[in-house]
Amino acid sequence: MKYILGRAAMALLFLCMVAAPCLGGDDYDQLFRRSSDLMAQGDLDGALALLKQVPAPQAGADGSAFVSSRMQAARIHAAQDEVAKAQADCREVLKVFPDNSEARNQLAALERAQRSRWATFLSDCLRFLPSLAKGAMMTLLLVLCTMLVSPLGGLLIALGRISRFRPVSGLCWFIIWFFRGTPLLLQLFFIYYGLPSLGITLSPMTAAVIGLGLNYSAYLGEIIRGAIQSIDHGQMEAAKAIGMTYGQAMRRVIIPQTYKRLMPPVGNEFIALIKDTALVSTIAMVELMRSADQLFNTYFNVTALVLAAVIYLLLTTMFTFIFEKIEYRAGIYEHR
Amino acid sequence: MNIAREPLLDLKGITKRFNSLTAVNNVDLQVLPGEKLVIIGPSGSGKSTLLRSINLLDELDEGVIRFEGQEVGYVTRHGRRHLDRPKAICTLRAEIGMVFQHFHLFPHMTVLGNVMEGPLTVQRKPALEARGIAEDMLAKVGLSDKRDVYPATLSGGQKQRVAIARALAMRPKLMLFDEPTSALDPELVGEVFDAIHTLAVEGMTMIIVTHHMGFARELADRVIFMEGGRFIDQGTPQEFFGNEQGNERIKNFLNRLM
Ligand SMILES: Nc1ncnc2c1ncn2[C@@H]1O[C@H](COP(=O)(O)OP(=O)(O)OP(=O)(O)O)[C@@H](O)[C@H]1O
Ligand SMILES: [Mg+2]
Repeated sequence: MKYILGRAAMALLFLCMVAAPCLGGDDYDQLFRRSSDLMAQGDLDGALALLKQVPAPQAGADGSAFVSSRMQAARIHAAQDEVAKAQADCREVLKVFPDNSEARNQLAALERAQRSRWATFLSDCLRFLPSLAKGAMMTLLLVLCTMLVSPLGGLLIALGRISRFRPVSGLCWFIIWFFRGTPLLLQLFFIYYGLPSLGITLSPMTAAVIGLGLNYSAYLGEIIRGAIQSIDHGQMEAAKAIGMTYGQAMRRVIIPQTYKRLMPPVGNEFIALIKDTALVSTIAMVELMRSADQLFNTYFNVTALVLAAVIYLLLTTMFTFIFEKIEYRAGIYEHR
Repeated sequence: MNIAREPLLDLKGITKRFNSLTAVNNVDLQVLPGEKLVIIGPSGSGKSTLLRSINLLDELDEGVIRFEGQEVGYVTRHGRRHLDRPKAICTLRAEIGMVFQHFHLFPHMTVLGNVMEGPLTVQRKPALEARGIAEDMLAKVGLSDKRDVYPATLSGGQKQRVAIARALAMRPKLMLFDEPTSALDPELVGEVFDAIHTLAVEGMTMIIVTHHMGFARELADRVIFMEGGRFIDQGTPQEFFGNEQGNERIKNFLNRLM
């Protein structure tokens, strides 16, 4: 690969030589031609040696042959990945002609090329970070709102499902059936684009919180119901036997015992939630995914996507850690 | 026994069916204040169901329950029996303590928290007062040193004593014990027996369902033998364990136990 590139570069240089025969005086014409021949034969060192024979011009004399020779040498060096030597060639020209734009540009290009890919990546990161951070804050806000709303909704749905009052348990069954049975994306579209036709217009944020909140309430509802029903019946009986009402027994005895059992599946749901918030980018909400998408489409730069992935990972890792801590705390009474 | 005294608990025609099975069949029972009743009988004879229907954990199909002379638990609406309002049922349960075979301590609360829970949540007493009551009850069952641990760390006997303290903290007028020692290793039975014995000596009215004949012999005023949802026989412990007279089936049952 490198070989082919080198060859291509040489061919290009060769063309330049042929197309620009009138660079120096007649003495130098021949020198340039010979060096081109050597290059064509692959003898780059020979060509370089010839080019170096062109001396620096006396003050006031015509320096064009000198400039051409050094720039040519710089190109050869650059093609061989000898960046330092190529830079030295350019500086040689700039010492005599400080304003020579060709040498300046070449030197700048060499410097840019020399900067590592990491530096480019980091500078891209710095460039993208502000708008991604803003997006991430929106994502976090959305996640926190849903984490606040959905356990309450889930608890209501769970208690409703357990209720012996048929209309209530039926309604809760329906909510679970509907929100677990249709895509979240569809629900979001319906709430944001569909409800206005019924005269209800919502901001993207409100629509997103309602959509995610309902969806996750339905999922958590089933999880919470399962956890409540997994608590030994004896607990409810013991609570009733000391005179507690159903509500007191639930609040003081049953529900607190579900926390530990709830944490692993609820943690799972909340991790999924962090990623599911990406769906609300489709209803005009500028969160992390949307920010990354906008940057990518503006700069065609994958760094924006990589950075977004890193931020999502940071969020999920952070919450995983928090949930593990809570789970441990919630089950502390089981430790002997 | 003073016949003139009004019974604390008066059951008339108590019947409880599970589908086609009649677990408790037309039972009458009167318990006087301070009386200690022990119910024995083979498995499935309806002993637990009878206890559970007294504090309305099981809903009766027929019968009347009177507690302190008041008819409790059920109302008739539109010609049909219904459980009374939840409030009334809770009030009744608060006056009747119950101890279960499998303890059913609240695992997420400390020992003290378990015992405080009734006064605190049900009787809405201030935390300090509830705490004081709980500490007294724990002292009574000899577990003051365990007050701050969680039930998971206790032995079976200790758990059952905490369960007794939890029931006592409500200052009940009647205590129901459903096989309080059946889930315990033999060497742990004694400490629970002693706790119940202390209560009995203090004059607590109690109904004890048990397979442990020590209760029947040593603290019963009256022993009832139950089978097939009915009371087959009843009498004083002397009548019961004196070998002279008595029912063949009961003798067989007692012999198998001993
Ligand atoms: N919830 C229920 N549903 C259906 N049948 C029940 C239920 N509870 C009790 N039974 C039945 O009622 C009958 C009486 O049960 P109960 O628990 O009162 O007996 P027990 O005398 O306490 O027996 P054990 O000594 O085994 O505790 C049994 O045949 C039992 O199978
Ligand atoms: Mg039983």
